[in-house]
Amino acid sequence: MSAATNRTQPATASAVTTPRPSEPSKTKATLTWLALLVIFGGAVWLSNARWSEITGVFTDGWRYFQLMLDGVLENPFAEPWSGYWTLALEKMMESVYMAWVGTLIGAIVSIPFGFLAARNVSGRVTVQVTRGFLNLIRAVPELVFAIIIMLPIFGFGPVAGTVALGVGAVGTLGKLTAEALEGIDTGPVEAARAAGARKLAVLRWAYWSQVLPEVVAFWLYRFEINIRASAVLGIIGAGGIGQLLGQLFGRREWEQIGIALVVVIAVTLLVDALSGAIRHRIISGGAVKESTFKEDAVSAV
Amino acid sequence: MIELKDVTVRYPNGVIGLDGVDLQIPDGQFVVVVGLSGAGKSTLIRTINGLVPVTSGTLTVDDMEVSGASKRELRAIRSKIGMIFQSFNLVKRTSVMNNVIMGQLHDIPWWRSLLGLWSKEEKERGFQSLERVGIVEKAWTRASELSGGQQQRVAIARALAQDPTVMLADEPVASLDPPTAQMVMKDLQRINRDLGITTVVNLHFLDLARAFGDRVIGMRDGKVVFDGTGAEADDAVFERIYGRSLTADDTLTESA
Amino acid sequence: MSVEAPPRAAATDRPRKPAPSPVVIGGLVVAAAFTWWAGHSLGFSLRPLVENWSNGWVVIEQFLSPNWPFIWRVWDAWVETIAISIVASAVGVSLGLLFAFLASRVTNRSAWGFRATRWFLSVLRSLPDIAYVLIFVALVGVGSLAGILALILFNIGIAAKLTSETIDAVDTGPLEAADASGAGTAARARWAVMPQILPNYLSYCLYIFELNIRASVVIGIAGGGGIGSVINVQFSRFEYENVAAIVVALFVVVLLIDQLSQYLRRRFV
Ligand SMILES: Nc1ncnc2c1ncn2[C@@H]1O[C@H](COP(=O)(O)OP(=O)(O)OP(=O)(O)O)[C@@H](O)[C@H]1O
Ligand SMILES: [Mg+2]
Repeated sequence: MSAATNRTQPATASAVTTPRPSEPSKTKATLTWLALLVIFGGAVWLSNARWSEITGVFTDGWRYFQLMLDGVLENPFAEPWSGYWTLALEKMMESVYMAWVGTLIGAIVSIPFGFLAARNVSGRVTVQVTRGFLNLIRAVPELVFAIIIMLPIFGFGPVAGTVALGVGAVGTLGKLTAEALEGIDTGPVEAARAAGARKLAVLRWAYWSQVLPEVVAFWLYRFEINIRASAVLGIIGAGGIGQLLGQLFGRREWEQIGIALVVVIAVTLLVDALSGAIRHRIISGGAVKESTFKEDAVSAV
Repeated sequence: MIELKDVTVRYPNGVIGLDGVDLQIPDGQFVVVVGLSGAGKSTLIRTINGLVPVTSGTLTVDDMEVSGASKRELRAIRSKIGMIFQSFNLVKRTSVMNNVIMGQLHDIPWWRSLLGLWSKEEKERGFQSLERVGIVEKAWTRASELSGGQQQRVAIARALAQDPTVMLADEPVASLDPPTAQMVMKDLQRINRDLGITTVVNLHFLDLARAFGDRVIGMRDGKVVFDGTGAEADDAVFERIYGRSLTADDTLTESA
Repeated sequence: MSVEAPPRAAATDRPRKPAPSPVVIGGLVVAAAFTWWAGHSLGFSLRPLVENWSNGWVVIEQFLSPNWPFIWRVWDAWVETIAISIVASAVGVSLGLLFAFLASRVTNRSAWGFRATRWFLSVLRSLPDIAYVLIFVALVGVGSLAGILALILFNIGIAAKLTSETIDAVDTGPLEAADASGAGTAARARWAVMPQILPNYLSYCLYIFELNIRASVVIGIAGGGGIGSVINVQFSRFEYENVAAIVVALFVVVLLIDQLSQYLRRRFV
């Protein structure tokens, strides 16, 4: 073909014919970046951080890391190391128990709240009031529940922490249950109503049975979050691995700290994997729902 | 010059995509590839620029060996081969200009590309590519705000901005309405004529194949079963390629 | 006289109600046993709730009369908390973005590399925020630097997870186009992926900032500076009126930031 004649000409060379549209102004973007930079700089200044101390991360950090590694690599079946491993594992299991029982309390209490907060179940006023209450709980960290209410009543120890986790879980679980209820297929509801079922029966068989798998998945998810949250509660004396960590760090027992951290990581990864696998089995096609979890994972921590 | 010598492509799942294909495509030719769905048209195109690895045989583009090229060499080869897709493959959330400059990323230092600091020459090359397809005025609009035909033209401009010697197009008009399809094909033809860029286009409309193909290659089951000029490719030939009688779906316009 | 039900000559066999699957039954039994065992080990009992209610009530009463002026007396600590959150979020989400690109099979061409990154990130996320604060307090001393560093690690974990999941779901067409034109890995990530994930990424950034404000109580109690350390001091002095004022104010701050980020998020999308 004769098409190959001007092969040597660069592909885009041609006489300028069309006027070039002018590039949109970049001022706004530049100003935004500048503003962000100023905010960041201001924050660095106002945070009162002693930035020079950061060298400690590299000098002490390496030393402490080696100490921790020593602790982990010692024969775990010889005294005193076996005792350290057992203690860390016991305390971590206590955290897991706290999270489990706490989540269960939260789950049971959240069911009625979920129904009260669902627009397609309850009246407008009830929904508004319940949602406000649930949001309030969501906004207050568990730590605060523990400090205010649980410690004075239950005294120091894991029970206070457990109840605090339960109260904290009501907020998110109630909200998620309500949202799940609002998303149900209305067909069965109408069918049940048409058959003359009583309200309670409709709620049980048309609503609850539809959302159950999803809601159980929420519970499991909350359990995963609560394992991390329970560690926090330990620091104020509410039991579990957090309490042990607080003591160990106070005494700078780096070998034991290393062991405790390894136990925390291992148990958490294990529970996450187990619970995640069950969640995926419960809600087949869980990919869509994962995004709901995701948002809440962030707002619930 | 694109040269395939006994090229076989076997996918990891065992499916044979190309089966001993021998082809020579001289510079500046406009080649149309036709065949039933699953015949291996896309595989042929994607093998030429190394998106699909050759299992056996040799494949060279402008005397650079694609089969057995290292990752680095492959990137260099690809930078000289433009590609156009059925679904345009534009980044919808950014400007047309950024999309067009994406064709030049191979030649832009990474730090400049990360910050989006395009040089004047790079932008001018973008404008010139857009000029070729007649949508310079859209340079700063978001790609998502363009019609399908306009988006495909941006995609052509992106390929042109690579300053390619070869242009590959995998069913470039399959998602466009008939008049727009005609126009986009004309754009491709004009670019081929004006710049002498070797062009390989997959099509499944017989009338378009006949109208635009200097040369038509028919494929079936991964093999080349017809190779001739557009004029030679009459209905009987197509029936042989397809192994069935023709239907209205095989043409873009009813009258053809 | 009662009418006898007509004897049905050939009633078809009623199918038996299928028993619930053994997996479900087994699961429920295990869950119940675990619950009992957990409650037993914790010495769990709700009796104190009734018995010690009056103990609690004294504290709650103090809480119900917050000392409002105290909020302004600790103005510096508020500023510090916000500043800590800004610095930690900014650094955390930037590094998190980098890790997200490494942790997605879409952007990391090395299968081995992205698995290793994922594994590293899940380990990073498995430690609670409090553990990071304790570590950094030991390394750099009590103060906001420890809080910032701890939050950075925490933020990297979350930002990388959320963002890499978003990257996994992008339209791969533009990536293919970038590959076909011979673009490098970094340029491809920046121009074929980044524009697609930007709105989501920005909204994750805001979430993480919110999260850091919420976490300020925890951070401070463990020695990481900010308003949490004020709570810690007031709490140990049993000044519950002051603690209550701070908690309410924190609630309002969180709510305000929530509103602000909802507004910004609407503008992104
Ligand atoms: N990534 C892949 N992995 C495995 N097999 C593939 C892959 N891509 C294509 N194939 C197989 O290779 C054969 C040729 O496919 P190809 O996509 O080249 O056909 P085509 O002619 O382009 O068809 P269409 O007109 O439908 O696009 C088909 O049998 C297809 O199933
Ligand atoms: Mg194809």
